[in-house]
Amino acid sequence: MILPKPAGVRISNHDRLISIKNQKNKQMKNLSFKPIYTALILAISLSSCTKDLAELNKNPNAYESVNANFLFTKAQLAAIGLNPSGNRFSNMQMLQQEATYSEVTAPGDKYFAEGSVRANWSAYSGCLNQIQLVVNETKKDPASINKLAAARIWKVYIVHQLTDLYGDIPYSEALNGLDGKYQPKYDLQVDIYKDMFKELEEAAVALDASKPTFGNSDLFYGGNTVKWKKFAYSMMLRLGMRLTKIDAVMAKTWVEKAIAGGPIIDDADLTRAPYADGGLLSNRNPFSEHMRVLDYVDGQNPLNVQGSKISMRFIDHLKGNSTTTKDPRLNVISVLWVKQPAGGYIADTATALQKGMQNAKFNGYPADFETYSEPNPNTVMRYDAPVIVLGAGEVHFLLAEASIRGWFSGNAATSYDNGVKAAMKQWSLYGAGGAISTDKVTTYLKYNPFLTAGTFNQKLEQISTQRWVLGYLDQIENFSNWRRTGYPVLIPTNYPGNITGGRIPRRYIVPESEETLNRENFLAAKARQSGDNTLLSRVWWDKE
Amino acid sequence: MNLFTKTEGSLGRVATLDIKPTIAGRFRFFNYRISQLISFNSILLVMKLTFILLLVIILNVRAEGYSQKVTYSGVNVPIEKVFSTIKKQTGYGFFFQKELISLAKPVTINAVNEDISDVLVAIFKDQPLEFSIKNKTILVLKRAAIVMTPQSNLVGIENLLEEKDIVVKGQISDAKGETLPGVSIKIKGTTVGATTDVDGRFTISVPDNNSILVLTYIGYQTQEVAVGDRTTLNIKLVAANTALTEVVVTALGISREKKALAYSVTEVKGEEFTQARENNVANAFAGKIAGVNVTGMSSGPGGSSRVIIRGNGSLSGNNQPLYVINGLPMNNTARSQAQGEGATILDRGDGISAINPDDIETINVLKGGPAAALYGSQAANGVILITTKSGKAQKGLGVEFNSNFTVGSPSMYPDLQYVYGQGLDGVKPLTKAQAISSGRLSFGAKMDGQPYVQFDGVMRPNSPVNVKDNWKNFYRPSTNLTNTIAFSGGNSAALTYRVSLSDLEAQAMEPGSSYARQTGNVSLRSVLGKRIIVETTLQYNVEKGKNRPGNGYADNTTSWATNLLANTVDIRNLAPGYDSNFNEVQWQQVPEAQNPYFVINRMGNTDSKNRFMGQASVQYNILDDLSVKVSGMRDIDRFDSMDYMPIGTAKRPRGLFNSGTSFVTKTTAQVLLNYNKTFFNDFQFTAMAGGNIERNVAESTRNFGAEFIVPDFISFSNLALQSATVGLSRFGQNSAFGSADIGYKSLLYFTFTGRQDWFSTLNPGNNSIFYPSFGTSFILSDAIKLPSIISFAKIRASWAQVGGATVSPYQINQLYSFEQGGHIGRPVQGTSSALSNPNLRPLTSTTYEGGVDMQFLNNRLGLDFTYYNRKTTDDILSTPIAVTSGYSSALLNVGELSNKGVEILLTGTPIKSNKFTWDVSYNAAYNKSTIEKLAPGLSTVGGVGVGRPYNTLRGRTYLTNASGVRVYNKLSGYEVQSPEVEYGQGVPPYTMGLANNFRYKSFSLNVLLDGKFGNVVQSGLSRYMYRFGLSKNTLPGRENGLTVTGVDQTGAPFTKTWPVDQMDTYYNNQASISPLTTSVFDGDFIKLRSAVLSYRLPVSKLQSLKIQSADISLVSRNPFILFSHITDFDPESAYTIGNNQGQSSNTIPRTREFGVNLIVRF
Repeated sequence: MILPKPAGVRISNHDRLISIKNQKNKQMKNLSFKPIYTALILAISLSSCTKDLAELNKNPNAYESVNANFLFTKAQLAAIGLNPSGNRFSNMQMLQQEATYSEVTAPGDKYFAEGSVRANWSAYSGCLNQIQLVVNETKKDPASINKLAAARIWKVYIVHQLTDLYGDIPYSEALNGLDGKYQPKYDLQVDIYKDMFKELEEAAVALDASKPTFGNSDLFYGGNTVKWKKFAYSMMLRLGMRLTKIDAVMAKTWVEKAIAGGPIIDDADLTRAPYADGGLLSNRNPFSEHMRVLDYVDGQNPLNVQGSKISMRFIDHLKGNSTTTKDPRLNVISVLWVKQPAGGYIADTATALQKGMQNAKFNGYPADFETYSEPNPNTVMRYDAPVIVLGAGEVHFLLAEASIRGWFSGNAATSYDNGVKAAMKQWSLYGAGGAISTDKVTTYLKYNPFLTAGTFNQKLEQISTQRWVLGYLDQIENFSNWRRTGYPVLIPTNYPGNITGGRIPRRYIVPESEETLNRENFLAAKARQSGDNTLLSRVWWDKE
Repeated sequence: MNLFTKTEGSLGRVATLDIKPTIAGRFRFFNYRISQLISFNSILLVMKLTFILLLVIILNVRAEGYSQKVTYSGVNVPIEKVFSTIKKQTGYGFFFQKELISLAKPVTINAVNEDISDVLVAIFKDQPLEFSIKNKTILVLKRAAIVMTPQSNLVGIENLLEEKDIVVKGQISDAKGETLPGVSIKIKGTTVGATTDVDGRFTISVPDNNSILVLTYIGYQTQEVAVGDRTTLNIKLVAANTALTEVVVTALGISREKKALAYSVTEVKGEEFTQARENNVANAFAGKIAGVNVTGMSSGPGGSSRVIIRGNGSLSGNNQPLYVINGLPMNNTARSQAQGEGATILDRGDGISAINPDDIETINVLKGGPAAALYGSQAANGVILITTKSGKAQKGLGVEFNSNFTVGSPSMYPDLQYVYGQGLDGVKPLTKAQAISSGRLSFGAKMDGQPYVQFDGVMRPNSPVNVKDNWKNFYRPSTNLTNTIAFSGGNSAALTYRVSLSDLEAQAMEPGSSYARQTGNVSLRSVLGKRIIVETTLQYNVEKGKNRPGNGYADNTTSWATNLLANTVDIRNLAPGYDSNFNEVQWQQVPEAQNPYFVINRMGNTDSKNRFMGQASVQYNILDDLSVKVSGMRDIDRFDSMDYMPIGTAKRPRGLFNSGTSFVTKTTAQVLLNYNKTFFNDFQFTAMAGGNIERNVAESTRNFGAEFIVPDFISFSNLALQSATVGLSRFGQNSAFGSADIGYKSLLYFTFTGRQDWFSTLNPGNNSIFYPSFGTSFILSDAIKLPSIISFAKIRASWAQVGGATVSPYQINQLYSFEQGGHIGRPVQGTSSALSNPNLRPLTSTTYEGGVDMQFLNNRLGLDFTYYNRKTTDDILSTPIAVTSGYSSALLNVGELSNKGVEILLTGTPIKSNKFTWDVSYNAAYNKSTIEKLAPGLSTVGGVGVGRPYNTLRGRTYLTNASGVRVYNKLSGYEVQSPEVEYGQGVPPYTMGLANNFRYKSFSLNVLLDGKFGNVVQSGLSRYMYRFGLSKNTLPGRENGLTVTGVDQTGAPFTKTWPVDQMDTYYNNQASISPLTTSVFDGDFIKLRSAVLSYRLPVSKLQSLKIQSADISLVSRNPFILFSHITDFDPESAYTIGNNQGQSSNTIPRTREFGVNLIVRF
């Protein structure tokens, strides 16, 4: 028998053993004990390996602590690569830049399934947790002040996308799983916004060019603190302007502060992450990979996996009313696969060929499917296309809007023109096929000038419509800005049996797992946000 | 006396065992070893082991009086007296017929401390008798030479006997035709008898031809044979079906009398697996053993099996039992691997699938209790002990040949609608584009037999092509051919051997898919001298899978098309699946749902397993009642796999490639000390102590890539996109254990065990657990006089604990891995969304068990009843947590899970005559699983709360208001989703099996029924059949539209009529809104699991061929589903062996198999 704590027992038995041994010693000599020794030694050898047990449980292929630099790179990549399918099947289709005949994957085209809107929530266990770990790590070291500042700014970027999509979300108590806290409360969106402003401001001020940075681990700026400061103020500008419907005073305060701080106005300061078309899947642009693998598989095959095409609304807008008002980005974004007499297809960017598919028109493969345009594989879907996080184009449009609101002293028309120029110029980052000549930009502006004489709403519509085109590959921001301004005007589809009653969704729904796993906090948040967790409930700043 | 002296200055590093000088010298050596080898942390183990071993030595020293030496002097002493002295001094028993002894002469000997064998040789020297020693029994036989040598002194006596008596000769064998030595033969009503020799032959003189011979042999039914006018009797003994004399293999390979056991154990003989055979022998348990729930995968030949004993014991750990082969644990790693993309699963078999059924002697299932407790943590879910066949001492070479051939076809065909044909919106396709668009939609116009355009632009009639036709058109009959040849023999105990070779070739129903297994098995046993027994078993096998069928979802499967093709399209028109440029021809618009002919003709997968299992042991019988056995085993498994999609695959036009290699070893070393002793004649004492170490290493590399550069060169080197990952996983366990068994007068038995385990997967401080067990059994029928109807009654009870650490290596530490290749020259670190837990403790599984074994009516009817209550505490679970914590799961010692149940086994022989016998065996079990407790802060685990059964299937359904009226969404017109509700359990709580065995002359018929009840099955396939309009449930509304009525969310009456052209939209989305409502079914079923009709050929007429026996059988596996609520699929359509049971999806059809089996013995 084995006893759990045998030390005491052993003494007595041991004594017994010895006395018996003494008595029987003589007789014992006839018996061979060698095998017993062998057995004992074996048994002991077995146990000697106990100390090796701890050694066995060290994974030779995994690192056991956080390296702030390497994890920061991951947090950057993971945030911008989050849920490409949600971005497309929800936002890109809701905002009528893409259409599909499929019913299954069409939350945005036909307002059906809610599936793909849940996935952004997983940011919590991905990029958001990663950036929090970087914040925690860099906080420990006073010399890491720039790293901490960059991490705080990037955390705001991740959080603002989440709260804009989902409204009230866990924030102040979130990300404490390592401390055994599994059920964080939901913060009011207004509080989250206030904290984000504070974070941006503090981080921007803290940046110090003389201190160490993330260097090469920073995909966006290589550690350049001046550019990080510009990014921080650009974010502040974006977030400030977000509040125009709900709290104009707060909006004005932060917009003015951001402009004073100095946002990105030069193309060279644009925030982007680089990708490569190499032998590694993870180095490819996540949206391109997603579009090609999951949908526009092969231009030689007329059957797209998810039945998508560029939307009629988007193509028609880009085409304009005439050839003169045409947006030159049409020929950068859109192609038509033209069947060749010799067999096979060729991607053609000719304006006359481009045709968009009407949203929610089809529930099966249309006979004329081949006649609709698709995203250009040589620009939009390049594997080495960058992901543009925030560029000068958006800032100029924000400045134009600040200007028409009277929050910025600059000329709205100038800002508008600068915005259009920057928005068109940034396509040159998408390879040779993306380059738009200055002539074309000038021509476009000539025939599509800023409506200086127009009403506020006309100006807002014009600026917002430009942002809609600019946001083609930045769909979360696109969705937020459209909800805020209501422009461009989109005619909702009303497909039989849709789940929104023919209205464009206003919010993402929080995954049901929260109702199970964080029930009380979830229900409290749900109750105070119109008591609903549906695609039609609205976030705080999206006041009706 | 101070036992432990800490060495000054080196804190806690060394402990010295201080032993008095008398024996210290002998122990010094290992003292030294202790100080050298043992860290302070492990000193406890050493202390315990030392203690156990010393204890054994004490017993051993006391036992010194019993040896194999004999001291005896005497002149003309009756031989019986010498026997009894020898028995006293050595413990050897004698076995003889009294009348034989009466022939013996008195002996004169003078032996001082001489070897027993020398003494025996001396006393038998001039006797008409001879002896043989078997284990510890000395068998006294009539000297064979006497009968054959008339010159002998005793001829006269023999002649005298022959003058008045009839001499009857014969041979006794068992049912399989193997001869039985040592069978006792008596003439009824007298004390005259004989014993069979090594070849099972006997000679006996009977007074007249009215004599009746009574044959008795341990483990066999006593048989009476009338001599009549025969002088040659070849008799077969029938194995006893009672618990009275049965000897079973229990923990660590120890054989024990079944009646002494305090727990339920079920033994299944190897031959039950060889006729109506399963390639994966674990699947053959189905229905045979109460409380054992077997789920064979619906994944073609060579697939895996899920075996669950008495319910799932752990919420997230491995719930499958431990497989032990010849006393040592084997690796049962499943090789299911999700293929590159999608959720498709290729089932590439598991560890147990490597075992050839022909090599199995017996399988014992230890469902719980003290026996399992000795195997430690991995035995918390029960143990399946496999004993492989070994050679037997016999004359000449024994050859056994087994050949088995079966043909399989689908087990059932779904019952679908064939009223409305291909199309959508109630319209049949008018263009090729529309035909492709609705390739898998049967929402078209009413079938009218008129031509319409199909996916390839060809006009074909709008008339039914049912799934049955398409299955028959696409699949082929599966075949399974197994040939095994085994040689065994050994002229004496000095060396016995068995060598077997087996070849299995299986063709799956899916064209091009095959599985092959070659097995070589060598078993050697040698008794060296008198005290050393060396045994070794080596098995090497090669398994090859080719184009294993994909399961689960659409990608990479043929079954998506065979099941879901629109109901007016003949699948053969999809062939060959590719065009002149080798591009896939799509039959519908979603490339994931592939052309099945493209899958079989252009895509591919291969895998191969090279498995070597070697084990060896040396047993040294130190004393007659003390032995030490050292054994080791290494189980080596190398697995290579590859799968690819070529250029031209619709969903991956440039192709995809996956390959991997893994090398898994499991090494076990064990030392066991066994001690047996009888005290005061009435007390039997058995003690065992041992230690075990186990080490597991899994190395793997996986190469993944896409985009072939050159077509049709399928190689990792031919890819534009490449990545490779390397894995190394190591874990181990050290254990010390011991047991003691005490028996009183074969009436009352007690068993105690204890085991301490140290786990590598937990952190020091929390990585060890001690657990004891206790059991008792009481033979009521021997203690008191029971009514004569009861032939045997035994009561048993046990309490056993098993500790476990169901954690994967490295799981307890938070890891931050580096991502392969980084990002364009920058290192990238990753995180895990799973929260680890360095403070994790071992879990404990505690089982109370009680039961009765009873035999009635002279053993014609038997009852074995067991109640058990198994509770798992501190269960280790990776439980989902709110992702807002930063992690999606946390690894916790959460709560408590219980499984309570009863098991009943009824055995009977309703008819028993010389010519006809009917044996029946019925087993039934009920298991109630309950989640008892969860960690603070957790209200559910996997959505299931406290008080509910584990593996409860939950999901939303359609909301109804208080009066039961359905609530509709006013905006959409669809049903509103309800909160999550319980649909039922995924694991059937009720299981049963009914085996009938009929024997008539040389024929026998064996029929096994298997049933499971009380569970639900969720079918992904059915959901798609619904969504795509194949299900009969989608017929309402097709003619005139469908009006739904109920209330809206505000409670106001709601009504909406869905027009005919929107029925497809309605049904499709209705199934999407509440996937479970349309696809969860009551999973009850009763199946005819197997049927075997055998005929024993009259080989005795073919003496010249030297055939001992030959049996030919017609066999069938899973021939009929006798009862099921499900009309769309086989209720057993599982495709994963994970804990998430109750899910079925898109799989190739399950098969029913018919065939023949031939066994010939030479």
